[in-house]
Order: sequence, then C-alpha cells, then structure tokens
Amino acid sequence: MPSFDAACDKREPWEDEVNTMKISFELNGKEIEAETTAYTSLLDMLRDELDVKSVKKGCESGECGACTVLVDGLPMTSCIILAPQVEGRHITTIEGLEHNPLMIDLRQSFIENGAIQCGFCTPGMLISSYALLRDNPHPTPEEVKIGIEGNICRCTGFTKIIEAVLDAAERIAPE
Amino acid sequence: MDTSQSTEGGQPLNPIPRIQYHAPITLAGALQLLEELDKAKPIIGGTDLLIAMRQAACTPSHLVDLNRIPELNYITEEEGYIKIGATVTHSQAASNPLIKGVPALYDAVSRIGSPQIRNRGTITGNIVNASPAADTACPLIVHDAEIVIKSNDDTNIIPVEDLFEGPKINCLEPSELITEIRIPTPAENSTSAYKRIGRRQAFTLSVVSAAAYLQVEENTCVEAGFAFGSVAMTPLRVPEVEEMLKGKELTEENIKEASEAVREYVQPITDVRGTAEYRKDMCPVLMRRAINESLGRMR
Repeated sequence: MPSFDAACDKREPWEDEVNTMKISFELNGKEIEAETTAYTSLLDMLRDELDVKSVKKGCESGECGACTVLVDGLPMTSCIILAPQVEGRHITTIEGLEHNPLMIDLRQSFIENGAIQCGFCTPGMLISSYALLRDNPHPTPEEVKIGIEGNICRCTGFTKIIEAVLDAAERIAPE
Repeated sequence: MDTSQSTEGGQPLNPIPRIQYHAPITLAGALQLLEELDKAKPIIGGTDLLIAMRQAACTPSHLVDLNRIPELNYITEEEGYIKIGATVTHSQAASNPLIKGVPALYDAVSRIGSPQIRNRGTITGNIVNASPAADTACPLIVHDAEIVIKSNDDTNIIPVEDLFEGPKINCLEPSELITEIRIPTPAENSTSAYKRIGRRQAFTLSVVSAAAYLQVEENTCVEAGFAFGSVAMTPLRVPEVEEMLKGKELTEENIKEASEAVREYVQPITDVRGTAEYRKDMCPVLMRRAINESLGRMR
C-alpha cells in the first residue's frame, strides 16, 4: 500500500492549526477572507467553511459537474481545484446570480419544462447553462448538449434539460 | 483531460493528502522550488493530478502551482513554430486562431473532457501524465511537435513522442518542467485530423484514437504522419505506414491498403474499455476516417 495515512486526515482540515492559511478572493461579488488549508478543495471550502450549500458534492473527481462554479467567469468543477488556487480570483455560484436576468429566465424555464427532479444536479446544470447562453445566446440543440456535457443528471434524463435551455434562450433573446 | 486517472476503474478516493502549496510568480522561482524541495510536483489544472493524489497513485509532499507565472501563458508564432506556453488551457487553445491551423490538435482540445475540464486542464498536463490515451498526444506527434524542458541549469528540446516512456511513465526528472510545446508551422498544403472512439463523447478515455497528418500535392501524398492512442504502452507513431503512403496518389485503394497495414504494428490490450481485437479492428477504420476528414478540410 502507498504510504498514505488516511487516519490523520479524519480531522476537519481547517482544525489543523499547523497548516492553516488565509486566502482572500471574491465570492459572489463580495471580497472575503477564508481560513483554510492547502489540501482543502474549493468545493469543501465553499460548503463547509463558507456555507455555500448550492455547490453539491458528487463524484469528487471532476466528472459529474454537480460542484460546478464560475472561476473568473468560466465554469469549472470546484472539487478538483485547491482552495489556495483561487486566491484573488472571482468565484460565482448560483447564489451570486440570484437576481441576474439570464439566470432568472433559466431558472423559470427549468421549472416550467420539468427539467428538475431531485435537484441535485440543478445548481451545476444552471451554472453550465448560464455560461453557455451568456457566450452563445442562440445555441443549437447540439451546442446545448456540448455545453452541459460536463453535468450528469440521473433523474430526468437530459431531454427536458436541453429543452429548458433552448426555451430559456428563446425567452432571453427571441430570434 | 486525460481521464485515465478517473474513477472509471472504481478506485476509492481518499482525502487530499497533506501537501504544502507554493505559488511562485516567475519561472525561475518555480524551477528553484522544484530543485530544492523534496518530493515536489508541479500542478497546473490539477484535473488529473489531484485525483491521482487522492487515489494515492502519486504522493508528492509539495505542490508548485504554475498558474501564477504570466510568462508561461502564451500562444505565439515565431521562428517557424507555433509555441504554446505550459499553462495554456484546452479552452484557450481551442479559441486561438493559430491552433485552428493545427486541425488535429484543434479537434482534440475542442472536445476533450467537458467544458469544465477544458477550462481548467492544459495540453501540457494532458501529455505529461504519459497516458497512452492522452487525447492531445497523437495530434502533437503527427505534427512533429516538440517540448521544451527546463530545469534550474539546463534546457532541452525533445520530440513529444520521446516524453512517453511507458504507461504513466514520462522521461522527466523531478526537477524538470515542460515550459513550452512547439509545433512546426504547418505547410500550406498540409492538413490533419484526430478521430476517437469512446464509450460516450464527454469525459471518457478513448477506447482507441487516431491522428492523421498529410501534405498533399495534386492529390499525391508527399508527407504523412499517423499516430494511434490506446493501442500500445505509449501513443504510437507508425512510420512504416507513413512510408507506404508517401509518394502515392491518395486513392481510396491506396488509403485502404495503408490503413489495413496498421494492424501489424499496434499491440493493444484488453481492458474494461474494450478488447484488444476490437481496438485492432478499429485502427484502420479510424485512420481512414482521419484521412478523409483531413482531405475534406483541404477542399
């Protein structure tokens, strides 16, 4: 077995005084300072230290997309980013887009199209869809599929989600 | 992304090991750290490395983050090369006009992983893991790309294919860093393409993949490059097949003959993603698809 002492890591990482570090970054438009460790993921820091629970913990290996956030405007999976890597960056979660017109339409469209079932994938889906429509207001169905290919839904299937994104595009910028 | 470290194999994830984190702002600073620190590893996107660390497949004590080094983030064309800095992400590459001129590489970077992975992962990171399935490897190899390797007191330039020594084994010393990938500016009459077969489009490792590079004069192939992923211990270039097609007219028959010959040179294995037989059968198919896509781009 590789020399890896899992037992010592059962403590909450930020309780370890030796290796804590302070990082500052912008979260949803607010400058914040967080105490964390070099071996805390952005996902864990957001959920456990900063109480941003919309960011979901799924596969923890960058494959399911449930933890997707915007880093300087670009969707990335927060589970495979180290907390100190976001020093000085701008992190946006759906909380930060609550009053954003594009996000309001997207959200409504998800509701009306039945694109939500258990809701676990929804915050990540919304972030990816938001980034897609922001950069490409009139996507083809194929472009929507590529836009959300990094987000996995295990309830509804993807048809309704794709319909919801296309419908939102129609509301936001009718052709 | 090279998803070879993914949980596809069902390996459990440990917490992130207790590393120390360093974020130098100059290349010289990074090289100094790699030289001085014990068990230090460079990190850029971390899309593979963090997962490998959590599977205890890789156990560094220090991580040296290269993302804060402005001098490593560029795509330029000079001295007959398209030069790509170490921290260039797949998304940055996919949206750069110079990379559009390297069609096989564009194919790979524009569809590798997922949007989230493309925004985070880098070409350098993809090849440095030395996975035989690395999506950007075959396109770089057929374009005769080279890598610039630096350490505190040395600079070396080697062909991309020499980086790969075996599955997950690269030729780098712990104090060495890939600082640049350079691709000879493709000739006017050249074209290329990259084709892959995966279980699905997003994320998954290719079951098998092929890149083709051609230089064509009046429908005659004057220069050729073919490389295959996931069919050997490393991405595999097949010079014998390249020679078969050089100087020949690019007729359907000649293409078929050359592509069928590939079977003799690949040594795929059977694993969870596909059988050796299937992989061998798909090589000629993908090679023809890559050639046809390439030729389609010239018209």
